[in-house]
Amino acid sequence: MPIVVRLDDLLHDRRMTLTELASQIDITLANLSILKTGKARAIRFSTLEAICDILECQPGDLLHFESDVQ
Amino acid sequence: MRHSTVLPLAWILLRILVVLNWVYGAAILGLVIFANSNPAWFMKAIKVPVGIEPKPIMVGLTAIALLGVLAVPLNHLILTRLLRIVETVRLGDPFVAANAYRLQAIAWALLALQVLSIVIGAIGKSIASKEFPLHLDAGFSVSGCLAVILTFVLARVFAEGTLMREDLEGTV
Repeated sequence: MPIVVRLDDLLHDRRMTLTELASQIDITLANLSILKTGKARAIRFSTLEAICDILECQPGDLLHFESDVQ
Repeated sequence: MRHSTVLPLAWILLRILVVLNWVYGAAILGLVIFANSNPAWFMKAIKVPVGIEPKPIMVGLTAIALLGVLAVPLNHLILTRLLRIVETVRLGDPFVAANAYRLQAIAWALLALQVLSIVIGAIGKSIASKEFPLHLDAGFSVSGCLAVILTFVLARVFAEGTLMREDLEGTV
């Protein structure tokens, strides 16, 4: 999938666990795990906003486009 | 809605109709065989006036009955597909691709039944006369055609609904 979710990197930089993030943004750990592993098909603006708010980042820091064409 | 009594009742009714449909088919087939082996008795039973050539009436009514028998597997297809749809609703998961295919199959079967009805109506008209009026509840039906269109549309709605639900399930 060309859109890569860099949630793992952001959490690592901020020394935060996925469980801690889940409890702060009121999204289930299971759903955040789906997002982190790149299995999500779509992300709500509200989810993006909540994550960016807690991790103090921009949407572009979380999502990255990688072209399939080498 | 989850505790509605309509669904269990519909499920029971559909199971009964599945059995009755085959009984109806067997009864029609039995009547065709019996009528053709005792044509004189049959002509008297349906009150064909004396002086009218009985052969075209016999052939026409046999054709109508056989077309009626053809409707039995179509009815079975509709009833069993509807039964499966009701079961998915009872399980709380009706927006699945299988139901879209089931509705489409029902729509095609309804269309086939409409065609059968038109053919039966035409045969009925061809053998009816002033001396032997034949009133069949068959022929072109606006409500029947509307049911066919409605079912095809519903099948598409289900297919789109299934895709939307799949998208929603993957949304975080």
